[in-house]
Amino acid sequence: MTDVTQLLRAIDNGDSKSAAQLLPLVYDELRRLAASKMAHEPAGQTLQATALVHEAWLRLTGGGDVQFSGRAHFFGAAAEAMRRILIDRARSKAAQRHGGGMARQDLDQIEIAAPLPNDELLALNDALEQLAAQDPQKAELVKLRFFAGLTIEQAADTLGISEPTAKRWWAYARAWLFDKCRPEK
Amino acid sequence: MKSEPDAASASREESVFNGALALPPEQRAAFMDSACGADAPLRARVDALLRAYGQSNGFLESSPRLTGPAATEISTMPGTEGPGDLIGPYKIREKLGEGGCGIVYVAEQSEPVRRRVALKVIKLGMDTRTVIARFEAERQALAMMDHPNIAKVLDAGTTANGRPYFVMELVRGIKITDYCDQHNLGTEERIRLFISVCHAVQHAHQKGIIHRDIKPSNILVTLHDSVPVPKVIDFGIAKATEGRLTNQTVYTQLYEFIGTPAYISPEQAEMSGLDIDTRSDIYSLGVLLYELLTGKTPFNSQELIDAGLDAMRRTIREKEPVAPSTCLSLMVDADLTATAKRRRSEAPRLVHLIKGDLDWIVMKAMEKDRTRRFETANALAADLHRFLTNEPVEARPPNNLYRLRKMIRRNRTTFAAISGIVAALILGLGVSLNLYFKEKDALRRTVQVEEEKRKEVEARLEMERKDRQFAEIGQKLWQAGVLMSQDRMADAENMIQDVPLIPQVAALYNVIGVVYARNGKLDAAITNYIKAATAQPTNEFFFDYLLPLLAQQHRYDEFSQWRRTALDRFAQTSDPALAERLALSCLLLPASDEETRRIITMLDTTASTPPRPAAELAGGLAEYRQGQFKRAAARLEPVVDNQQNTNAQNQARLILAMAKAKLAQPGRPDTVKQNEVFLHGPDWNEQMITAVLAREAENIGR
Repeated sequence: MTDVTQLLRAIDNGDSKSAAQLLPLVYDELRRLAASKMAHEPAGQTLQATALVHEAWLRLTGGGDVQFSGRAHFFGAAAEAMRRILIDRARSKAAQRHGGGMARQDLDQIEIAAPLPNDELLALNDALEQLAAQDPQKAELVKLRFFAGLTIEQAADTLGISEPTAKRWWAYARAWLFDKCRPEK
Repeated sequence: MKSEPDAASASREESVFNGALALPPEQRAAFMDSACGADAPLRARVDALLRAYGQSNGFLESSPRLTGPAATEISTMPGTEGPGDLIGPYKIREKLGEGGCGIVYVAEQSEPVRRRVALKVIKLGMDTRTVIARFEAERQALAMMDHPNIAKVLDAGTTANGRPYFVMELVRGIKITDYCDQHNLGTEERIRLFISVCHAVQHAHQKGIIHRDIKPSNILVTLHDSVPVPKVIDFGIAKATEGRLTNQTVYTQLYEFIGTPAYISPEQAEMSGLDIDTRSDIYSLGVLLYELLTGKTPFNSQELIDAGLDAMRRTIREKEPVAPSTCLSLMVDADLTATAKRRRSEAPRLVHLIKGDLDWIVMKAMEKDRTRRFETANALAADLHRFLTNEPVEARPPNNLYRLRKMIRRNRTTFAAISGIVAALILGLGVSLNLYFKEKDALRRTVQVEEEKRKEVEARLEMERKDRQFAEIGQKLWQAGVLMSQDRMADAENMIQDVPLIPQVAALYNVIGVVYARNGKLDAAITNYIKAATAQPTNEFFFDYLLPLLAQQHRYDEFSQWRRTALDRFAQTSDPALAERLALSCLLLPASDEETRRIITMLDTTASTPPRPAAELAGGLAEYRQGQFKRAAARLEPVVDNQQNTNAQNQARLILAMAKAKLAQPGRPDTVKQNEVFLHGPDWNEQMITAVLAREAENIGR
């Protein structure tokens, strides 16, 4: 049994310390995976966030028999980790553009082809934090969908809600976030 | 800055938003008027959200991608190659198509011969040197391939951008599945076309070449003098380009590149990368045949991809697809009618045509365990040929025992819960299958003796009919087993409802009975045990469960009736264990003098010295039933003192208490409380016996 499998099991038994340990592990693995992939792949290779998250899942848990709730914890952590990676990346780029020279980081060789420009990604992140304060579950749904690339179905499963509910939440959250991010348009 | 709405108004806002969204746009204004009333801020917020919703098309719909540094350079290069460009000695003309792993062009070759060829440039993300090296390794073998249904691979090389390319015989055709549908080919014509494909694959296999990526887009149909000729393309390319599927980065790569996971064999899905042989192609051929017959693949590619990689691999490795005819029957009417029409048939006829032989052939080609597939592509073709000429096919449904084993393997955890019973189940089925095969052999021998040609044919047909019938029953039993493994007992019960009460079903009724009993549904348990005992009257275990259940449920008439049946069947036994258990169950309720005598005789003839506690317990109860309370007490005292068996001890204690009460001895000794019964243990029927006795003891004490 891997460390992560053990952690997932502990979280399932209500151990909040383990929950705190899970995120950094997943975060490191995703960063490491992304960096090593990009370093060793030929030019032009692109990698979907979804694929990255799934590979991290397989690597960290061996893809073995993890309780269903364990999966939910994992994908929640992975979505949060992806969010941090992308946002850190967008921030450091913004800082560079404004003349803040920084030491190169391992992820600097990686372009993030987010479907949003950097400033919009940062705006989205702020809006998402506001949404999380008001309605944490919908914010979680957005994270799972957008940052971990889960389908509506998988996200519904992970959150333990029905698919129609997830679709309704998704429509609402998207409109809400869009309204916050691009109020002028 | 707008003030943030508090939680309550946020949820109000959300429900109005959802309500409006569910309506067609023209009705929304009226809805908003009534839903928001005078609440202008709410109205403004929801209006803004609806506006945002209208504009947000595509927003957040695709998740981020990570891209290597050079990607932008290359993608901004105006067209990596195009008409007029030279790749090696080949001049590009027009683009022919674009697939998951590359772009295909029509190209012109001038040396050594002037001809047109197909040139496939593999997409980015591959190690060119490895690809070319792999291709070179197989080049000799590829050159040996010469078959009218195979497009030859002529050459390979590296483009100026460093990407690998392959040159092939130019085939201007369309995907085999599209061809069949566009021309409304009937099932038989489809099969004939498919047989040619099998022969082509066989040819390659004989030259030592495995295709590894057989799927409709790699089989093109062209017309030669208006005769359709299928051509298999891309031989040797999958092998050369598969390197990326074998190292540790396998998962993401597969995720990115594979277009049609529906065609991947279980061993390819395993992706150990080492052990792929010709039988993987047989599997893919099976999937192709499935799609030609039904218009669908056994697993939906998109669903496979959406499920994520580990689920995808598990599905391909473990999930048993439904048979083609079942797949058709499961379609909605309109789809089925359209599918049948594309095959110049009607819905019921199409299903009927495919059910049976074709189902078996397809399922045999698609076996998870490759040793159970057709040995060669030719064998698959030959069986199809047999089908077309109405000869009996060789593909047969796998026998039930094998299916059951597989099912148990797949559902190990669920099955563990009822593992003890599963052993009985397999045993029961195994024994009865054995009988069946013996019967079948006997029939075959009879046929041989009778010699006459006509009779032989008739007998064979009869055998086939029996086979089929048995296969159908087997299918039901198997499905019931699956339902049971999912704890869907009522559905399982329904599934086998109209299966005749042959010995094979007894084991299933037994399992259903146990589960009901343990869940406290005693009458439902009885119904199933009665069926089990009817189906397999030679199994004395069923009476051990049935009789206590009937006694517990106050169903005395049936108790007497089944007691008589049990005694008629087993009273002559010489097995002491059987005698003791049966005697105890039968005596749970007072019997007639004659029956009591039979029980005592049964106990006496199997008695041993020193007496076994179980025999003494049953004997004690027999004495009690005859009014011999002192003798009963004398036999039961040692059983109460015996620490070996708590159930027997409890039961003896209860009968002893009753005997002492009858003897008017003062005080009621320690009775066992009736509600101390736990049906969940493996010995639930013992505990039920205790409960029945406890009830009787309680009534005497009153």
